[in-house]
Amino acid sequence: MALDRRGFLKFIGGATAGILATPVVWKSLDDVSIWSQNWSWIPRNIDGANSYVPTVSKLCPSGVGVRVRLVDGRPVRVLTNNDHPLGGGLSSIAAAEVQLLYSPSRMKRPLKRTADGAYVGITWEEAETMLVEGLKKAKGGDKLAVVSGDETGTINELFTALAAEMGSKSCFLMPGEAQPAAKAWELMGGEGQVGYDIEKSDYVLAIGANVLETWGPVIRNRHAFRVGRPHGEAPAVRFAYAGPVQNNTASTADVWLAIRPGTEAVLALGLANLLIKAGAASPAADFAEFRALAARFTPEQVAAQTGVDAKRLAAVAQELAKAKRPLVIAGSEFGQGGGAAPVLAGLALNSLLGSMNREGGIRALPYARKVVPAAMDRKALLQNDLVAWLGKVASGKAAAPQAVVFYEANPVYALPQADAVKATLAMACDLVLPVPMGLERFDDVDTPYGCGQVVYALAVPALAPLVDARPAGDVVIGIAKKLGADLGVAAFADALKAKAEARGASFTEPSATNAHVSGAVLPVNGIALRPDVLSKAIDVKAPAFPVALAPVAKLNVGTSMTATPPFNTKTVRRWEIQGKELYVMMNGATAAKLGLRKHDRIELSNPAGKFTVRVNVFEGVMNDTVAVPAGHGHTAFDEFSKGKGENVMRLLAAGAEPGTGLSVWTSAGVNIAKA
Amino acid sequence: MSSFKEFKIKWGMAIDLDKCTGCGACMVACQAENNIAPQPDASNKLKSLNWLVVYELTNGKPFPEHEVAYLPRPCMQCGKPSCVSVCPVIATEKNEEGGIVSQIYPRCIGCRYCMASCPYHARYFNWFDPIWPEGMDKTLTPDVSVRPRGVVEKCSFCHHRFMQAKDKARVEGRDPNALNDGDYITSCTEACPNGAIVFGDVNNPAHKVHELVKSKYAFRLLERLGTDPQVYYVSRREWVRRLGDNYLENEKVKG
Repeated sequence: MALDRRGFLKFIGGATAGILATPVVWKSLDDVSIWSQNWSWIPRNIDGANSYVPTVSKLCPSGVGVRVRLVDGRPVRVLTNNDHPLGGGLSSIAAAEVQLLYSPSRMKRPLKRTADGAYVGITWEEAETMLVEGLKKAKGGDKLAVVSGDETGTINELFTALAAEMGSKSCFLMPGEAQPAAKAWELMGGEGQVGYDIEKSDYVLAIGANVLETWGPVIRNRHAFRVGRPHGEAPAVRFAYAGPVQNNTASTADVWLAIRPGTEAVLALGLANLLIKAGAASPAADFAEFRALAARFTPEQVAAQTGVDAKRLAAVAQELAKAKRPLVIAGSEFGQGGGAAPVLAGLALNSLLGSMNREGGIRALPYARKVVPAAMDRKALLQNDLVAWLGKVASGKAAAPQAVVFYEANPVYALPQADAVKATLAMACDLVLPVPMGLERFDDVDTPYGCGQVVYALAVPALAPLVDARPAGDVVIGIAKKLGADLGVAAFADALKAKAEARGASFTEPSATNAHVSGAVLPVNGIALRPDVLSKAIDVKAPAFPVALAPVAKLNVGTSMTATPPFNTKTVRRWEIQGKELYVMMNGATAAKLGLRKHDRIELSNPAGKFTVRVNVFEGVMNDTVAVPAGHGHTAFDEFSKGKGENVMRLLAAGAEPGTGLSVWTSAGVNIAKA
Repeated sequence: MSSFKEFKIKWGMAIDLDKCTGCGACMVACQAENNIAPQPDASNKLKSLNWLVVYELTNGKPFPEHEVAYLPRPCMQCGKPSCVSVCPVIATEKNEEGGIVSQIYPRCIGCRYCMASCPYHARYFNWFDPIWPEGMDKTLTPDVSVRPRGVVEKCSFCHHRFMQAKDKARVEGRDPNALNDGDYITSCTEACPNGAIVFGDVNNPAHKVHELVKSKYAFRLLERLGTDPQVYYVSRREWVRRLGDNYLENEKVKG
């Protein structure tokens, strides 16, 4: 049968109708739409039951109280814990803590350094044997040193007890605000740990101390700020900030007093002079001498030394005098190296304002008793100055240690003159042991420096360690045993339990916070203002450089232990890092004086070191000062931090504070040249 | 302009710019909550993807008269969203009670008209597939789907939290359309230690935000464009409010 044209068209039409009537076309279209969106390389959500673990962040220096959200046992979020005495919000590090468990730079197993400098993985048994052998060689006569990056944990008692059993007292904390404060408080004759009751104050003057970003228990401070300044209402608490850079604290403060870096103590004495003239007095026995010292700091003198605007200074003095519960908090603007003088002068101001030992003022908080018999207590540990000791070792005045144990510390990055530190200790480490991260272990936070109350917070593991890590406390106890020493505790958990009891806490019942607050305070009697020490300590020569250096610390770029967490690269400001280049800030007048414009490439140099950066013109910087963002320039870690920017610590060199001997490195200067 | 629905419930924010220190905790909390991939190099801000961005504001005066402020910018969830009217495939809508502007990823064809029309730069395009460092994808929350390359995304006011709050109300026998103040808040609101962000139903007198947005210091960004944002800012500083809109030199600033 011949197929004519009509027949052909009928066939085609019939076939088309037939195909369309079957589900083939529609099913295929549906499949195509599914397949084209079925991207196997895109991660899928995995559903499951929620659970929450209340704990405290050991990773964030603010020691913020948090809740960890788990889905089917997988940690997915760090959430706020508003009931926690150190909680009430998140810091930008703590918010990323769950993700940091999977950080590409996380160590997965013990590592040993080989002869060619490379690190190879070994078992824990091998590692412990190596450690025991190494420690045996360091027995007796301060041959072992311990450096801890944990300021608040009971773990330090185990490390210092081990050192004591080995005959060593060379135990150090990484530098922070707590050490200069402890020194100042001790000089004044104060007992216990100095505490600042921000919550109940109605006027907070922060001198140097970056109270809303890096100083003390930041989230607790910021919670106090939140309560004192209700949303949309006139603030019930006024905040004033004095420092060389309009930093995060200054941005929301009612007053910013711009001063040169390292002149905090002079500013405080200037305020003391104004307050004394207005009738303020202190019950201290050496008040007359203090008054004589303060009288030297006339507004003109203070303006010349600090660069502060005399009218603004007078206004702040008046506001302080008028306030009902004023509080002065002094410290270093980047959280370290400030020396005792600023704290001493700040506490003297509190004394003049009647703020000693009262609500909304200064509190003396008792230290917890030791729970490991041979340990060094916190007070003794705070007296040891790591930077001074390293200097002595470098100059041959102290014997070089045979072995150094670093716990959660990164001195080669975080200490002033990092290159010299590395040379002194002939680092890198021979043995690197991974510990569980804060969310994977039992640990504790005992009353961080700055707290106005005794707070004891327990860190509880939200999950088992993801890598082959062992808790440091138990490793130390085991090592001590192998060395023939008995530290007096069978397990780290027992030490924590004993510490909790020492603080009057009990964690036998399930709790929403796993934290304990105590109203315990020590009497503050017979406080001396120590004008004798102050007069020497403030005699710091201004740096003989054309431009002063002001490091700016922020939590969003992480710590020396974490580097910048993966999520946090987006929080770094545009003109802070571009590609791998760091931007530094100076005001327009300074830039013009130096013949610089925004984006110019410059070299910052001084005898400590040098590096190249670019210029960002930011008007919130003191005249003749360059503000350098801290926390960049890592040579280790991962693609989120490594090789980005420069490490400002390389430009800082420590000197000794006259009168106290403490290491200080807040008065640095640099030369600037176009690069 | 096409007409838009009016809603009984209007979720909104009042952000006190005098309380924001620019710490960035909200940005991190947002990324973790909404499964936004980290970026090794986020220094090119035109290529970095973030539903919530904290901008730096300056009063423009030289030292020492200089002042600085920080402005967190989520999606404004406009009452008259220009993105919705330009979307050719109805991938973004303002249709649900609560007034949150949706973004439906499987519908999005990546034409980016919405991005061009949004005056707040609140929308982001996925130029690349999201990549998490090995193992970090295990921290993805089950609440928000991961977006592939080729689609636009934006802040959803943590819409999944809204659904969860409604579910919770239903289970407890309460009216899911009458949530209490605080039953539903966004991740950024929760994270901010300074309490700079207050979130709630702008239409509900029982919610704190209802009063806050009436403050004489409250303003909205580019208010005169007529987009009717549901995000309000509050600042007692006149210069901050002035930066919220294109004021003429001698024109009086609102508030």
